Amino acid sequence: MHRTLLKSLTLGLMAAAAPLSAAQAAVTVLGWPGGPEETALRAVADIYNAQDGLAEEDRVEVLFFARDGFWDKLQADLAAGTQAFDLNLIATYSIGRYAPFMEPVTLSDEAESVYGESVLSTMQFEGQQYGVPTDLSLHFMYFREDLIEALLADADAAAVYGDISEEYLGERLEPKAPDEWTWDDYAATALYFTQAVNPDSPTRYGTVLQMQNLLFNMMVWQSTARSYGGNWMDDEGNITVDSDAYRRGLELYKMLYDAGATPADSTSYEFPEANAAFVSGQVATMLQWNGAAGELTNPETAPAVADTVGIVAPPAGDEGRFTHIHGLGFGLNQNAPNKEGALAFLQWLSTEEAALAYAANSGAPALTPEVVAAIADERPDLVQLGEFASQYGYVMNGATGANALSVYELQAQHFTGYWTGQETLDEALAAVASGMEDMLAE
Amino acid sequence: MDTRRHLEWGVLSAPMVIFLLLFLGFPALVNIVYSLSSVSFQTLRSPELSGFSNYVTVLTDGNFWRAIWFSLRFGTITALAECLIGFVLAIFLAPLFEKRSWLLAIIMLPLMVAPALVGLMYRLVLHEFVGPVPHYLWAWFGSAPAFLNATNAFWTLVVVETLQWTPFAFLLFYMAYRAIPFDVREAAQMDGSSAWDMLWRIEIPLMAPTIAIALFIRFIDGFRVFDNVYVLTGSGPGGSTRSLSIYVYEAFFRQGEIGPAVAASVLLFIASFAVLFAINQGLARRAR
Amino acid sequence: MIVTALRWVVFAIAAFALNFPVIATLVTSFKSSREIATNPGLWIQAPTLENYIAVLQVTDRLNIFAYLWNSTVAALIGTTLAIVLAFPAAYAVARAGYGRRMLMPLIVNLRALPLIIFAIPIYMMFQWVGLLDTQLGLGLILVVVNLPLALVILVNAISEIPVELDEAALMDGAGRTKIITTIIAPVCRSAIVTTFIFGFITAWNEFLFGLMLTTRQAVPMTVGASFFFSSGGGGIQWGTASAVMIVAALPPAVLGLVMYRQISRSLTAGAVKG
Repeated sequence: MHRTLLKSLTLGLMAAAAPLSAAQAAVTVLGWPGGPEETALRAVADIYNAQDGLAEEDRVEVLFFARDGFWDKLQADLAAGTQAFDLNLIATYSIGRYAPFMEPVTLSDEAESVYGESVLSTMQFEGQQYGVPTDLSLHFMYFREDLIEALLADADAAAVYGDISEEYLGERLEPKAPDEWTWDDYAATALYFTQAVNPDSPTRYGTVLQMQNLLFNMMVWQSTARSYGGNWMDDEGNITVDSDAYRRGLELYKMLYDAGATPADSTSYEFPEANAAFVSGQVATMLQWNGAAGELTNPETAPAVADTVGIVAPPAGDEGRFTHIHGLGFGLNQNAPNKEGALAFLQWLSTEEAALAYAANSGAPALTPEVVAAIADERPDLVQLGEFASQYGYVMNGATGANALSVYELQAQHFTGYWTGQETLDEALAAVASGMEDMLAE
Repeated sequence: MDTRRHLEWGVLSAPMVIFLLLFLGFPALVNIVYSLSSVSFQTLRSPELSGFSNYVTVLTDGNFWRAIWFSLRFGTITALAECLIGFVLAIFLAPLFEKRSWLLAIIMLPLMVAPALVGLMYRLVLHEFVGPVPHYLWAWFGSAPAFLNATNAFWTLVVVETLQWTPFAFLLFYMAYRAIPFDVREAAQMDGSSAWDMLWRIEIPLMAPTIAIALFIRFIDGFRVFDNVYVLTGSGPGGSTRSLSIYVYEAFFRQGEIGPAVAASVLLFIASFAVLFAINQGLARRAR
Repeated sequence: MIVTALRWVVFAIAAFALNFPVIATLVTSFKSSREIATNPGLWIQAPTLENYIAVLQVTDRLNIFAYLWNSTVAALIGTTLAIVLAFPAAYAVARAGYGRRMLMPLIVNLRALPLIIFAIPIYMMFQWVGLLDTQLGLGLILVVVNLPLALVILVNAISEIPVELDEAALMDGAGRTKIITTIIAPVCRSAIVTTFIFGFITAWNEFLFGLMLTTRQAVPMTVGASFFFSSGGGGIQWGTASAVMIVAALPPAVLGLVMYRQISRSLTAGAVKG
C-alpha cells in the first residue's frame, strides 16, 4: 500500500509539473486585479490585439496578482529575475524600489501632449522615464451637499457652529462653502456634525478619518501638513518633518479623533471602511481617494447618499490647497522575454488613441485639457481630475526614492501611535525624523 | 544503543530527514548567510558579510521585543482559552456526538475558512455601520465599543482567534475522551465513583498527553499568528498588534531589511529549540 | 433528561458562537451590494444569487474551478506526503526514542518559525528546478508546513499503543516495515485521519507561499479569492467576497464530513475492542 501510494503520488506530481514548459508567445502585462484598472487594461489590450498586421508573438496577454500582497509578490518576482511577465504595474511611490529591476523606456512622441510633463514625471526616477502613467490617484473632499446647504441657510445653526469652533479651535468661525474651506473650517464642520459634540447633529459623525497603521493612510493625511508648508526634506536634503506644519496637521487629526468626530474604530479604518461609513449616511465629510467617486455616487452601492455627494479639492492651509498625487502605470521588466514586443505596446499605450480608449473604459488617466476635451461629456470627472492634479498636486521631496515606502511605513507606525495616545507628538516626530535620516541618506 | 540498532531505527526517519535536507538545506544555508550579511533585494545573489550586526540591530530594536511580547501573550491566552473551552465542550457534549457524529461537522466548520479571509470578513462584521455585531449592540444598548482601537484590538483579536481554533482543540480532546477504554470507566463506576471523581481521577490523567499536545500546538499557532491579524488590523495603531511573524514579514518585504528579518527568525529558532530541548531533557530525567 | 436538554442548549450556543463569522458571511453572500450598505442585520430582505453568479460565471476572466483544483492537488500532496514521511519517523521516536532529543525539537520548531523567510531562497531553488508556479512545488512547501503537526500527533498516538503488539509480531518474524504498515497504521487510523484533516485544512488555508510561488498555472484558492472582490482604489466588494469564501470553504467542509464518519467508526471499533 505504501509503495503504490508513493508511486501514484509521483506520477501525479509529474503530470502536475508539465504545464511549465508551455512556451510564452505573447507580451504579458501584469496589472492590478479587479476594479476599473483591470477593466481598462483588458479593453485596451483587446483594441491593441485587434490591429491589422500584429505579429502573433506581439499580442498582449494580461496577468493579475492577488490584491493583498501585490507589491511584495512583485518585489520577490523582480528580484529573482522572473520572466513571467514583460510589463508590470508600477506606482510613483514605489518606482525607486523597483527601478533597479526595470529598464527605462521611450514613449511615443505624442506622450507629452497627451499627459503633460508633470504627469509624465510621476513615472520618472532619477530623470528617466520608466513607464506610461495610465491612472492618476489624488484626493477629493467628499461632502454631503444636503447637510452643508442646510447649515449655510440656517442662522441658528451658524451660532452653534460658532460656539463649537470657539470651544475647540479657539476661534469663532462662520459656516462656509466647502470649496472655500481651510482645514479649520473643515474641522469646525466636522465637529458641528458630530453628535458627541452637537447632540442635534443629523449625523453621528462629522467626518471619517483613515487612521489604520498603513502607509496609504499617510498619503491621505499628509496634505494637511503640506498645505501648512511641510515637506519631507528641504532642497539641501535635510529632513524637515519635525516642523510646525507637521505638528499642526497631526494635531488636527488627533483633536478630531479625541472629540469623537470620527468613529472610535477609525484607527483600524482604511479605504473600504471609510467608504462604508460615508455610504451609511451617518458621516458628513470625508477626505478620500478619487477612486471612491464611482462607488459613492452610484445609487446601487450608495443608496443613502449617492444623489447628494459633493466633491471639491482638499481644504487650504497657510500655503494654499494641496493634494497628494501619484500615478499608476506600466513599465518594462529588465528580464522581459519579449522586450521588443513589450516596448511596441508601451509606445502605443502612450498615444492619444490608447489614452482615450483607456479613459473611455473606466480608467482614470490625467490628460491635458486639449485631449480630455474629447471625452469630457462621457467622463466629466476626468476633467476635474486633470484640473486638481495640475493646480494642487504635489509629490513630497524624496517620495519617489528607493526607500519611500519604508518612510511611509515608519510615519504610519509613529503617527498612528501619537493619534492613539501611545506616543507623544515629540516622540513620534523625533522617531520619524531620525528614521528618515537613515532611509533617505544618499 | 549499538550501531546496528541505531541504523535500524535511523532508516525509519531517513525519508523525512532526507526530504527536509533536500528541501530546506539550501534555503537554511542561504538564510544563515543572509543573517550575517548586509543584503537587499538588489543583492540577493551577492550578499556582503557583515558579522553579527543584523543580530545587534534586532536585539536593540524595541519593536522586536514588543512583537515578542505580543506573540507570547497572544499565544498563551488563546491557547488557554481554546483548550479550556474545547475541553469543556468535548466532555460535556460527548454523549450528543456519540449517536450523531455529523454534529461534529457543525462544530468543526470554523476551521474550514482561511484565516486571511476570516480576517477580511471581520472587517465587515465589526464595522460600526455595516457590521451585524455593532448593529445589534447599537439597537439593544445604544452604543458599541470600538472593537479595534488601541486598547481593545488585542482582546478582539484573541476572541477572533479563539472562535476559529477552539474546534481544533475540541476535536483532539473529543477523540482522546472517546478512546478511553470502556472497561476503565466501568470499573470506576463499580467503585461508586461520581462522574466528577471519574473526570478528575481517571479521565483527565488519561487525557493528559493530549491536553499537553493541544496546549503546545495552540500556543505555537497563536505565537506565530499572521494572516487574520495582518488583514484585520495590520500591525495596529503605533504597532500595538504586531506579532513576531508580522514583524519579520514587514522587515523582509516592506522595509527590505532582509538581514535583520532573517536574524530575528534565527534567534527565534534558537530560543524555541533551547526551550523544547530543555523540556525534553526534563521529561527524560523524570522518567528515569 | 434535564442534562440532555442542557447539553443541547450548550451545543446550540457553542455552534452559534463559533460559527458566527461563517453565519455572517453566509448571510452577506445572499445580499445585494445595495442591501449590504443599508441593512447590517443578520436577516435578508431580498435574497439574491448575484454574488454567486458573479463568482462562478466569470470563467472567461477568472476560473474559480482552476483555483479550487490547484488548492486540492497541492493540499493532497502536502498532507499525504507529510503523513507518509512522518509516520515511520514517529514510530522510531515513540518506540526507541530515536530522534526525540534533537530531531523532534528541530522539526517541531519549524511550526513556530515564520516560514516566509524561506520564501526567497525557495523561490530561487524552484526557479532552477522548474517547480515555480506548479502544483507540485506548492504541495512540497505544504509538506514542510505540515510535518511538525503530523509528527507530534502521530508520536502521541503510537506511544499509546501497547509495545506488546510489536513484540508479538517480531516473534512471528515480521520486519519493522511490515509491523508499521500492517499493525500500527490500522490501529492509528483515527490519529491518521485527524492529522489528515488538520493537515489538509492548514494546507488549504495557506496564503503567503501560494502568493509568492505561483503566478498563473498553480494559483491556489486563497490567493485567487481576491481577484473576485477587489474594486476600484483598493475597495472590497463584500457580497462577492462572501460568496468566494463560502465556495472556497466547501471542499474542506465536505472532506471533513466524510472524515468524521471515519473517525467515529474507528473510535467505536476501538471502544468495543478495548
